[in-house]
Amino acid sequence: MLKKNNKLAWLLLLPGLIIMLGLVFYPIVRTFEFSLYEYNLTKPDSIFFTGFDNYFQVFNDSNFYIALKNTLLMSVFIIIISFFGSIFIALILNQHTKVTPILTAFAILPWTLPPLVNGIIWDFIFYSGYGLINKILIGIGIIDTPILWANQTWTVMLIVAIVVSWRVIPMCAIILLSHLQNIPQTYYEVSQVEGSGMIRTFFDITLPIIKSSLIIILMQITIAALNVFDEIVSLVGFTLGDQTLLIYNYMNLFTYMNFGFGSAITYVIMILSALIGVFYIASMTNQEEVNHG
Amino acid sequence: MKLMKRMLALFLGLFLLIGLAACGQPSTTESDSSSEDETTEETSDTEEETDEASSEGETVSFMIPDWGAPSDELLAEFEESSGITVDLQPTSWDDIHNKVTTAAAGGNAAADVFEVDWAWMGEFTDAGWLEPLDISQETIDDMPTLETFEKDGDYYAVPYANDFRIAFYNEAMFDEAGIEGFPQTWDQLIADSEAIKEAGVVDYPVSIPSGAEENSTTTFLWLTMTRSGQTFNEDGTLDEDATADALALYEELYAKDLVDPALTNASGMDAYFKITLGEASAMIGPSSFVNRIESEEDSQVVGEVQPGQLPGIDALAENTVPFTEAVGVSAQSENKEAASELVKWYTSSETQEKLHEELSQNPPRISLLEKLNEEGKMGEHGEVFLDMSQRVESPFPNGVPSYYTQMSTVIFNTVNELVTGNLTAEEATDQMVTEVNAIVEAEAE
Repeated sequence: MLKKNNKLAWLLLLPGLIIMLGLVFYPIVRTFEFSLYEYNLTKPDSIFFTGFDNYFQVFNDSNFYIALKNTLLMSVFIIIISFFGSIFIALILNQHTKVTPILTAFAILPWTLPPLVNGIIWDFIFYSGYGLINKILIGIGIIDTPILWANQTWTVMLIVAIVVSWRVIPMCAIILLSHLQNIPQTYYEVSQVEGSGMIRTFFDITLPIIKSSLIIILMQITIAALNVFDEIVSLVGFTLGDQTLLIYNYMNLFTYMNFGFGSAITYVIMILSALIGVFYIASMTNQEEVNHG
Repeated sequence: MKLMKRMLALFLGLFLLIGLAACGQPSTTESDSSSEDETTEETSDTEEETDEASSEGETVSFMIPDWGAPSDELLAEFEESSGITVDLQPTSWDDIHNKVTTAAAGGNAAADVFEVDWAWMGEFTDAGWLEPLDISQETIDDMPTLETFEKDGDYYAVPYANDFRIAFYNEAMFDEAGIEGFPQTWDQLIADSEAIKEAGVVDYPVSIPSGAEENSTTTFLWLTMTRSGQTFNEDGTLDEDATADALALYEELYAKDLVDPALTNASGMDAYFKITLGEASAMIGPSSFVNRIESEEDSQVVGEVQPGQLPGIDALAENTVPFTEAVGVSAQSENKEAASELVKWYTSSETQEKLHEELSQNPPRISLLEKLNEEGKMGEHGEVFLDMSQRVESPFPNGVPSYYTQMSTVIFNTVNELVTGNLTAEEATDQMVTEVNAIVEAEAE
């Protein structure tokens, strides 16, 4: 019986394994191979093994550090806005009123928009000339001339963070909401009898219970932050001063067609992402151990 | 359990094999590629012999942006007369570059005939992706923009659409500010623009691409060429004086608040369209705007804008810079003969005349421009277009370099840093010259 089940299990796993081998493991190995070569698609006669030279070049390239700094700055903005925004929205949607289902439906809308469309919409809103925000600010007399939102890196990163958060918050809020709705009402009733206020109840009951979901949404938000591409391109194009690690990678790989150097950048990004992933997974594991005594 | 172990071993083995195959296959080394080239040459020689025998009955694929795609009727004429079937593949301009590059890297042709933008010329020819074409002396003499596609005496693509820079002035705005005639020099243009601004005719009289994108590079190229007569030195490095002069002009235009600061984060097309929207009194832009300024669909100021020669330092600039689109034959094409036939037909005087009627494309042949102008088919400003088309001068002394994309990225980003106030003209000059020259030197090594 056990053997039969194993056979079936392997048969069912087979398609997934083949896809993983072909579309994940093979490209990973191939990309690593490219990263060890001087390999530019536009110079087919000049391909040769260089060892780890491309990696040294990445770490000696000032543009890499600009991209890294921008990515970190943007990620911090995205994590702060999205994390607290998700909790806030989830708590609002958890209020059982007549309009809650309608609000939930509306909250999901931004999530369904493709990132590129999202970026284009917000480009109109933050357009440096007479974009929507500038028009409103001029209309209510706060400013006289339009603010050039895209001329400072930190404002660009903040705007991108707002745009990405707008897209990410709905999904994260729904994850939290599903957890919130599973908290037994009796906990809150007891807390009320004990005389706890709203804030105390949130920190003593709600927060500890939804902690595992919080770690999951934190991971989702971080992945979203590291993967930002379309929104930046829509808002500021390929400006070197505003580039993030993914834009830096894309420029070298697909604009300059430098597959050797570009692949080395890909590996550096992959390792950085893996470090963050390990940190989160370790945090989750510790949390589970604490929960299980 | 045994089965599980076997399957696990099988997958691990497969994975190892894939990995080893990948690592053991260092793509193409120099020696590999040369031997492959020899094989390819042998193959292509044989194919050419066959091709020469007859192109009839062959099918050639043709990848071109929709603005250059001939109608089915026009293609049918070619197919009927040549016996060659054309597989037309209208493709966006950006995608063509990626498709050609990716296919060629794998030793394939994305299409037998494809669009060759002037900016791709160095990259494509250095990589050996374009087939040299047999061009008649008559065509060489008739197409000044053909020089962009020449390398070491061979021509690799033939222009099909004419594009160069022309100055555009809103006459009504100049009149409103009490200014007679159009500026001949940049000093005069700046003084006129200040007067127009002071008279309250328009907030930002001058429109010039300033965003971190390709149009800022092309603007830098024509600014240096028309003001200093050169952009690059003979060795391909950036001319420092010409660079400093062009960037100082950019700085002055912004310091005097003559350009809309929003253009620092807008596309080049946004900058060009300010003239047709009636939001600027002066713009130097693509020659296609000669048609746009008179089109009710494209312009809100029809009849008010006049095209002309670009301003210079002491007088009108004698030259302008071409940014031409062309078509070439893939070196990996298996139907080179038939593909060359298609290029010849597509860029012929007769076809170009029909394309002008179908797509409002401005032809690159001077003789055809003269004919169309005489027949009154070039519109109100045909004379200016014809005159300017004969003043084109490429900024690249040794042809468009293979590192153009990388160099252009440095140029437009530095221009953008200057106009956003992050660099002074002096700092921008130092940065641009240092970074561009580093790319040139790295390529030379």
